[in-house]
Amino acid sequence: MNRPPTINTRSDLLKLLCEAAELEHGIACSYLYAGFSLKRDIVECGMNWVEQQMVRGWANRIYSIASQEMLHLALVWNMTTAIGGTPYYLRPNFPQSSKYYPIHVPIELQPFGPRSLRRFILYEHPEDGAPDRNLQSLLKFGGDDEAEIVFGSVGELYRLVESGFRDIEPKKLFIGSPTQQMNLDLIHFPDIVSVTGRESAIRAIEKITEQGEGTARDRKDSHFGAFVTTLTEWNESKGPGSGFSPARPAIDNPTVFQEPGYGAKANPIDDPLASQVAALFDSVYSLMLRMLAWGFQFDAAGREDGLRGFCAVAIDLMPRVLLPMGEGLMLMPAGPKYPGKTAGPGFGLTRHVQLPACPTNASLLCRERFQELAGIAKRLAKNELSNPARAGCQHLEEIAAGFDTRVKL
Amino acid sequence: MKLDFDVVVVGAGVAGAMVAERLSLAGARVLILEAGSRNPSRTQMVGSYAIAPIKGLLHNPYLNAESDAKAPSPDSSRSYYDQPPAPHTQYESTYERRTGGSTWHWLGHTPRMLVSDFLMKTRYGDGPNFPPAMVDWPIRYDDLEPWYCEAETEMGVSGSDEEWKEVFGTKRSKPFPMSMIWPSYSDNWIAARINGKKFDGAEYLVRSTPAARNSTFYDGRPPCAGNSICVPLCPIGAKYDGSVHVGKALQAGAVLWEQCVVSKLEKDADDDSVHTVQFITYGGEHRSVAAAIVVVAAHAIETPKLLLMSGLANSSDQVGRNLMDHLSKSAFGVVGESLFPFRGPPSTSGIESFRDGEFRKERAGFRVSLDNDGWSRLNSPYAEILDLVGNQKLIGAELQSALFERVSRQVRLSCSVEVAPVSSNRVELSTATDALGLPHPKITFTPPEYSYKGLAHAVKTLADMFRLMDATNIQPIDPKTYDGAGHIMGTCRMGENPKSSVVDSDGRTHDHGNLFIVGSSVFPTVGSPNPTLTLAALALRTAQRISVQLGARTKPRGKS
Repeated sequence: MNRPPTINTRSDLLKLLCEAAELEHGIACSYLYAGFSLKRDIVECGMNWVEQQMVRGWANRIYSIASQEMLHLALVWNMTTAIGGTPYYLRPNFPQSSKYYPIHVPIELQPFGPRSLRRFILYEHPEDGAPDRNLQSLLKFGGDDEAEIVFGSVGELYRLVESGFRDIEPKKLFIGSPTQQMNLDLIHFPDIVSVTGRESAIRAIEKITEQGEGTARDRKDSHFGAFVTTLTEWNESKGPGSGFSPARPAIDNPTVFQEPGYGAKANPIDDPLASQVAALFDSVYSLMLRMLAWGFQFDAAGREDGLRGFCAVAIDLMPRVLLPMGEGLMLMPAGPKYPGKTAGPGFGLTRHVQLPACPTNASLLCRERFQELAGIAKRLAKNELSNPARAGCQHLEEIAAGFDTRVKL
Repeated sequence: MKLDFDVVVVGAGVAGAMVAERLSLAGARVLILEAGSRNPSRTQMVGSYAIAPIKGLLHNPYLNAESDAKAPSPDSSRSYYDQPPAPHTQYESTYERRTGGSTWHWLGHTPRMLVSDFLMKTRYGDGPNFPPAMVDWPIRYDDLEPWYCEAETEMGVSGSDEEWKEVFGTKRSKPFPMSMIWPSYSDNWIAARINGKKFDGAEYLVRSTPAARNSTFYDGRPPCAGNSICVPLCPIGAKYDGSVHVGKALQAGAVLWEQCVVSKLEKDADDDSVHTVQFITYGGEHRSVAAAIVVVAAHAIETPKLLLMSGLANSSDQVGRNLMDHLSKSAFGVVGESLFPFRGPPSTSGIESFRDGEFRKERAGFRVSLDNDGWSRLNSPYAEILDLVGNQKLIGAELQSALFERVSRQVRLSCSVEVAPVSSNRVELSTATDALGLPHPKITFTPPEYSYKGLAHAVKTLADMFRLMDATNIQPIDPKTYDGAGHIMGTCRMGENPKSSVVDSDGRTHDHGNLFIVGSSVFPTVGSPNPTLTLAALALRTAQRISVQLGARTKPRGKS
């Protein structure tokens, strides 16, 4: 993908922000998939009480990083609307080849382990120079079929974005309404930055790169540093003959699409019940994204309360529905084609319209969709689901039932 | 005299470890002597606590048979304090003798003291029943402010710059190192019902509580994941504890000798200097080391105990006196909808409105905490389960539903009331001894009327908050009883006058120019905030003074 060395038009800047949104979004899903795969309880076997504490620490780390990636997506959306664009949430389904983005690393859904951790380190690798010898050694893909490591950088992408914000005349560039900017008062995204000019745009970019790759003075407190620590700990804990097995045996890149013509080289879930739960997961995930994207586009002036409630419902879907359902899928069989393996959420983006600008109609479309999905959840919950998946279904029914009380647009 | 080290620090808690790191970086040869040890490890402790069928004192994760015998503490033995039995008032707070100190089981809250807290005598001393021992500090808030900033950076404090811009005239010169820990759902719910309302002239305003708990990746430690068990220990190290600076001190070149119980500090024969530190190993070996500077950082009970055992620094007769704490009290109620306790840290917000005002001429100020742990301190959910299963014969989904309905609506509020210094509240040496033959601390403690009045007012405030929340089933509160806050303070008070205080404003003992004391024992008065940030700021300030005193002896190594 060829990109200009600097950005000096709105259109180019918007295109780059779309690319950034795609990357942040895809990487967050990849992290979440690894997080879902970590075992919770020792009854799942493969770890003792003490090892369980280490695994919980890894899960905490990964979920923290994934939530910061979601913040990054939110910041990109604020930058996008500040210059007259609309929030972009589309992306190709998984897996995405190493050639699709200039970071030269595939974006995939894989359970927690050295393969996924090495990819994560590469996603977050600082742009300033090649890895040192210790890191080279840590990243050795001994026995794996991964291609040679070529380093690109997400940070490099943001340097280009920053060049656009620096080079284009602010008066001309910032045409979005300030009341369209999402802020802490409207949505529970800690550290979100409202972008209303060059200075706040650069602050938002710094927030993203500092959290991701860190600064030259401090790498250890970045996503990059946290993944290096995690991989080091994994290597140290996995001694010869160790029975330690912290991750659930989920398949790579699951999908509910069974058709051979489906573009991505994903693995269709072969178990009918797991496939239906995964399809419900995809639908809820898509609805959540559509709601958030709409919220970031809506000019809240005078209707802050309505927007608050709408966004809170969308945010609620993450911990209360997607998290248990995603973990629950990894406790359900992937089907006869994958003996001994479990399923997982494919984070498939289902085809659908963006929510309309009219708040009444947007609210109506969401309410109707919630009712449909709650009906599916109710029907699925009558089957032999894993406990977390059942909890996710129940929570979905509760959120759907409370929609009218909470959303008053 | 041959000196083995430039500095010996007694105690590897927050204060001792920070001093050790700073002086090591300045080029000093530093030895830390710690009575406890670093075992069991964090993961071992969390693992054993996780499988304990009942959590609580009997399953204290810090139990370590060898340390508990050779370096006992009130955490490991209820009989460690020698104090008159009930109904005599008891000193309720405890501490841990372990590498990293009592911060292993602290909550992590780090509010600063207020401008007034340093000026109690000047501002409120004309009150008719103002406690006579309530003095001004020899330093002011502005003297300590830059050190507060340093301590916040060192510990990693999360907080809201907007909410803490100015509290009772107490300003900040730098932003918090991390943005605030997100308030819990119940914090926001309560704030919506009480903010802006007034009680006895003060206005309720819920603020996020600053905490040495990561809200993002900081200093190599992960962000808080809301495990909700800061007490007894953070399972992932998101909450700061003294072991962080023990590690930094060792990295900077300090030496740590664990399981070495200091038994005596020895004054030189020819002058007032104190160079020799005697200690006993767990194996019973009596040894000593000598250093140019000795720093005692053994918390506010072991520090005076050691000085009394040594017969040092006590020309003022103030060593061990003015033992303080905060009087803590919890109130329990049930609200009309689910507030989902246990999501996030045990407390994330509080109310500062009652910490200062003219009322302090006659009664103590206090802080209020909004707590995220339901009724867990009243044996919940065990009591509910026993009732629902035993009396109401519920099982399965019905039991689950009924339990959720009860537990999710339970709320706890708590207060932390300033204790005024009283000379007769003190630490002395008991005739009872431990396995190494060292005396237990003998404690005498009766809260003054000034603090009881503050407690009574705090209890009324909590009741008013529950009224505003339309709470029911409010548990009766006796304002004449209290819990310990775990904030052990006083006993080696700081002051300008050597006749009425133990150390000067630098932490140097008046009697011995090379003997320093760091930690909350030097507080002359305490206000109502949690003490750890203040003691850390003071310790960093003292380290700088010691560094100057060491002068040409050392050559800075620089921070790695």
